[in-house]
Amino acid sequence: MAHHFHATPNRREALFGLGAGLGSVAFSSLLQASNTRTVHHPAKAKRCIFLMMEGGPSHIDTFDPKPELTKRHLQKFKRSGERQSAMSSGQRYFVKSPFDFEKGGQSGADISSEWVHLKQRVDDICFYRGAKVESVNHPTACYQINTGNRFGGDPGIGAWVTYGLGSENQNLPGFVVLPRTSYPQGGAGNWSNGFLPADYQGTPLRPEGSPILDLNPPVGMNRQRQRQNLDLLAKLNQGHLSTRPDRSELSARMASYELAYRMQMEVPEILDLKGEKESTLEDYGIGQKGTDAFGRKCLLARRLVEKGVRFVQAYAGNWDSHDYIARAHGSLIRSVDKPIAALLKDLKQRGMLDDTLVIWCGEFGRTPDNGMRGGLSYGRDHNANAMAMWFAGGGTKAGHTIGATDDIGAEAVDCVHHIRDVHCTILHLLGLDDNKLTYYHAGRHKQLSQFGGEVIRELIG
Amino acid sequence: MAMRYGMPEYFVPFSQGKADNLFHLLSYPSSTFVLKNFLLVLLAFITIANAATPTDGEKLFALKVKPLFSSRCMACHGEEEKKIKGGFDMRTREAILKGGDEFEDQVLVPGDPSKSQLYLVTTRTVEDYEMPPKEADKLTEEETWIIRDWIKAGAPWPSDERITGIQKQYAEGERVATSKALNEDWQNRRYESEKLWSYRPIKKIAIPRGVHPIDHFISKRLKEAKLPPAPRAKPRELVRRLSFGLTGLPPSPEDLAGFKSTSDYAERLMASPHYGEHFAQHWLDITRYADSAGFANDYYRPHAWRYRDYVVRAFNRDKPYPDFVREQLAGDEIPSRSPESLIATGFLRMGPWEQTGMSVFKETRQFWLDDVTDSVGQTFLAHPMQCAKCHDHKFDPVPTRDYYRMMAVFSTTQFGDHDVPFLPEENLNYFKSSHELVRAKIDGYKKQRAALEQKMKDARKNETGEAKVGDNGLDPGDEASNARMLKNISRHEIESNRTKPRAQGVYTGKTVQKNHIRGYLKPVANPWKGPGEIEKDTILTGGDVYTPGDPVTPGALSAAESLGEMNPARFPRDKGKRRLALANWIVDPANPLTARVIVNRIWSWHFGKAIAGNPNNFGGTGANPTHPELLDFLARWFIDNGWSVKKLNHFIITSETYQRSSRHPSPDLLAKADPAQNLYSIFKPRRLTAEELRDAMLVASGELNREFGGIASRPDINPEVARQPLLIMGGIASVYEPDPTPAQRNRRSLYAEKLRGLRDPFFETFNQPGTSDSCELRETSTVAPQALTLINSQEIQDRALAFAHRLLKETNTNRQAIDRAFQLALGRLPISKEREIFLSAWVKANAEEATLKPESYTPPTFIARTVRAEKTGELYTFEEFLPGSKIYQPDLQRSQSDARTRGLSHLCLVIFNSNEFVYLD
Repeated sequence: MAHHFHATPNRREALFGLGAGLGSVAFSSLLQASNTRTVHHPAKAKRCIFLMMEGGPSHIDTFDPKPELTKRHLQKFKRSGERQSAMSSGQRYFVKSPFDFEKGGQSGADISSEWVHLKQRVDDICFYRGAKVESVNHPTACYQINTGNRFGGDPGIGAWVTYGLGSENQNLPGFVVLPRTSYPQGGAGNWSNGFLPADYQGTPLRPEGSPILDLNPPVGMNRQRQRQNLDLLAKLNQGHLSTRPDRSELSARMASYELAYRMQMEVPEILDLKGEKESTLEDYGIGQKGTDAFGRKCLLARRLVEKGVRFVQAYAGNWDSHDYIARAHGSLIRSVDKPIAALLKDLKQRGMLDDTLVIWCGEFGRTPDNGMRGGLSYGRDHNANAMAMWFAGGGTKAGHTIGATDDIGAEAVDCVHHIRDVHCTILHLLGLDDNKLTYYHAGRHKQLSQFGGEVIRELIG
Repeated sequence: MAMRYGMPEYFVPFSQGKADNLFHLLSYPSSTFVLKNFLLVLLAFITIANAATPTDGEKLFALKVKPLFSSRCMACHGEEEKKIKGGFDMRTREAILKGGDEFEDQVLVPGDPSKSQLYLVTTRTVEDYEMPPKEADKLTEEETWIIRDWIKAGAPWPSDERITGIQKQYAEGERVATSKALNEDWQNRRYESEKLWSYRPIKKIAIPRGVHPIDHFISKRLKEAKLPPAPRAKPRELVRRLSFGLTGLPPSPEDLAGFKSTSDYAERLMASPHYGEHFAQHWLDITRYADSAGFANDYYRPHAWRYRDYVVRAFNRDKPYPDFVREQLAGDEIPSRSPESLIATGFLRMGPWEQTGMSVFKETRQFWLDDVTDSVGQTFLAHPMQCAKCHDHKFDPVPTRDYYRMMAVFSTTQFGDHDVPFLPEENLNYFKSSHELVRAKIDGYKKQRAALEQKMKDARKNETGEAKVGDNGLDPGDEASNARMLKNISRHEIESNRTKPRAQGVYTGKTVQKNHIRGYLKPVANPWKGPGEIEKDTILTGGDVYTPGDPVTPGALSAAESLGEMNPARFPRDKGKRRLALANWIVDPANPLTARVIVNRIWSWHFGKAIAGNPNNFGGTGANPTHPELLDFLARWFIDNGWSVKKLNHFIITSETYQRSSRHPSPDLLAKADPAQNLYSIFKPRRLTAEELRDAMLVASGELNREFGGIASRPDINPEVARQPLLIMGGIASVYEPDPTPAQRNRRSLYAEKLRGLRDPFFETFNQPGTSDSCELRETSTVAPQALTLINSQEIQDRALAFAHRLLKETNTNRQAIDRAFQLALGRLPISKEREIFLSAWVKANAEEATLKPESYTPPTFIARTVRAEKTGELYTFEEFLPGSKIYQPDLQRSQSDARTRGLSHLCLVIFNSNEFVYLD
């Protein structure tokens, strides 16, 4: 199903607008589908920042206290059965959380003591404890959270949202990813356009090296040289086009070079934090040990959505703490706590939190118990039946905790929903109906939830 | 499934047309007109004698409303009592009258559709009350009228017996005999006749003499549309079209000069081994070829390359298609089992798959069974079988039972890496150097580990307290590093197997549960004895592996058997050769799907567009054929000509239709008469594929190493991506290192290593398909990152410089160099104005380059990485060694070239970027 171009430079421009280049052609259509589209229903959220906690953060040690585990701490038991993987079977023991829990804000939300900064913002947050996923394997679970399909190959949620809503900015991709230096398991398939046209693919802004691949001319080539090369190219292309004037894809391709030329200037501008106030950088933890990397991502996320990017996904991790939960989760929480609190505060101060949906979650939760990995060590395995997740802004129910897990945090028991319902809810908050946001591929109309789901009304304010 | 209605108020007449369908069902030959009329009278007599004539409303209910409820509503409103949504049960008239939680007695007001929510919700005019909720399931306007008219008629609901009677007598559309549906309404479903085209026997169509049969069918439609075709393409355009179309490579200037006839040139191209490489690429797109397994470990598939080369050989030798199918599906079961056929079964293991300690074997085994069933359905039968996994197919006559019957064919199929000696025609080059490099990596890790283990041994302390809390004296980063190196050692050990004479294949036997699967899988000597079980073949309710339903026996698509009038095939059970039976069923000349599917694909490879628009989906949701008679003619011709792909290519290429110009003399008329460009009045121009683009540059620069086959080549890829840390289970994967010599790196793109976890961004940007889903046809998008790649990447810089170097070596003057550049890259000389512009641009570029002193490039021998240690979440730095860098010989570098060469390279880069180079007329 080839994607058809919307932008056709007008004939006159295509035929005669040579040497000067085709700079006036809309930047947009070459990078992504341009126009902002109509939503399926009125919605508060206009854009989304998805904080992806890769590796599977433990709900039990973050936002879902389990005093029962203190009682059962280090009690041993065995688990077996046809549905158990090698990881979760055999000799096990319960593990209490090494962290104290506190009640935060007016709402009295549960939050572990490591979250020093986020504790100040819990009244803006809607905590959700009812989500379940299907996989306890990192790549399949990451694919499921990000694309709805455990086996990959489908479009990422940001691709779906951009497909549904278009982009507000003609000069930037609609779906931007801020990955860690190391890509997650499953790689770039986590932000793929899948079967949607390539325009909806997540564009990673890499934290090291060139932010976009091949953005800059190679060493030894300056911009003037490049400009001259592009002008020569335009002339050569012109002769070819003159005998094929009805071929819009040829002129569109010519315009894409001018767009690329402009991107070389625009992208570095967005990444340049010099214009930000010293106090802002301080708030986000930029330039400070531990928080710098994610602080930059959070600030960049705000800058991007401010410029009209529809969907930003920022990665932090790796939360896969099978051992030493106190050290591992403690250090990870500290690395994101300040940046996230700053992001929420910043969005609120700018009046953007109301129409920006912020999501925090990993690909699954963690178990209340652990295996005998080389003897006893406080850690946790993967848990698809319970997880930590929260939302802020974008029309969600601030200051509430929805759903519950059982008394040891093994399984969600109240307001239980499959992750597909979370997907439907996210789309709903953005004005999209999962059942209407479909794309025909491989014999059927595909959708983010895969086979349909329901909106979790309890999460909506 | 939209039905056509002539009138808004619904009425079902009793007509000859319906009787036709009825007779079809009773399987009387439709030509026996007299018998038909006799039976018609008889039937009518019996029915009228048995019951009072049903009212229009009753007929409407039995024929239209009930099936509509069943297919669109009952899943949530009656099929499963526990799952009834909104308290609204639609199983009886009474229940509907009672209504649900929302509208109660406003749901159905007999006689008044405008007050009945049952009708109103289907019109999708009230926000949040659109039914069915999924946009993809929404009713057509005509379908909403059915409900409206039924309500208006008083919403009659006859007894089940009476419904059956009415259906028997009056039903429209065609019933299809299938294995057995999950529910009765589906079993009785009727289909629009034209949606069933792919199951009907392939027609024999007579054509007039003196005209190429393809042109006959194409001209007929063009005449109807009053659209004159474009004239014949110029020889230069044809030569380029043929060369890329048959070999994926550009023609040489000698090809252009010596071109005599399309037929001769096509023969010559198909005799070149590059033909098989190019056609293999098409096939590998469908079968999702990759050199690694994907997911958490992305383990190397060390023998995948032998399957890739098998496909190349099959096309080059013009293996009859039935043999090609049989070998891939059942190469281990066929009587002519051979090394070649064992390698072919690699097809069955091409999908992404892994089993780790995190997953449950039963589930991952089921993933493979689902994957292979769907993949075989799409590849050979153009049936995405996944659509029938959880419920009977929504649109096509494919019951869920067929899905599980086909899956049962594979339930005794097990993974095994056979010992298969290398064939004389297999390329064993680079084995030694590849092996040495892998060993160097493994040894490097082992050395690093030995030092680390010593350090850890010295530092280790007993943990305090009753549980370990991380005070064992070790740097957690060291512990993580240790695990990372162990994992990478095991990954490279697997990789090192690529020089072993084994084939990634399958055998038939019992299923043995395994918690971890990695590396060599020795086929079991006695596959029916020893541990394991013969899987029970059942329907899995809702597609859930833990919910077995009815038992099934192996089988295939029942609709193809009934509508296609095939002899029912016998599939073995138990220890029989099930895959061989399926393969034989597929290649049975009476199979209505197989020949159509492959000729449709081959057509699409030539024209960039298929006759039936979705080569992987011949069902009702796929596009109907634009030229159904042509498709049947080609399918029949293909079978009659020994299922020879080369002959079919030649047949297609020698038609006028293929040889047309891509430019229509009257674009306006074309746009008006054939806006969708379905009529082939022009040859559809296309962009080169990612692989063709890279190969064409290598040909122009003279760098292409044209040798065939062998272990995957590791080209230079964007260095930032190559060194991008990629998380795998247990740590960070080792660094991608390109092959040490230009000859190894600069091979055809077909041979470039395809790792699921690490895509080459050059290929990905230019729409190379992903490795999860089967790709029926390449897409072309135009996005700005393509331009960035083609102006800034190392790849393009290297090709442009080598091209410039070649030009200067082969010519004496500036003018000659420019002319040669155009000739090699574009197959023509520059016009004088172009020559002038390029000559003056070169002078300018030379002057700039003369002021520069480029530095030479040496790849780093180690990289320092900082990561968060999994155990502690704290930062840790380690060094990754790159043994490949020590023996790396770069391509021609700027530092080795003079200013004139470098200056010319800018012009070469411009030519590589031009639309003329990148597009094919």
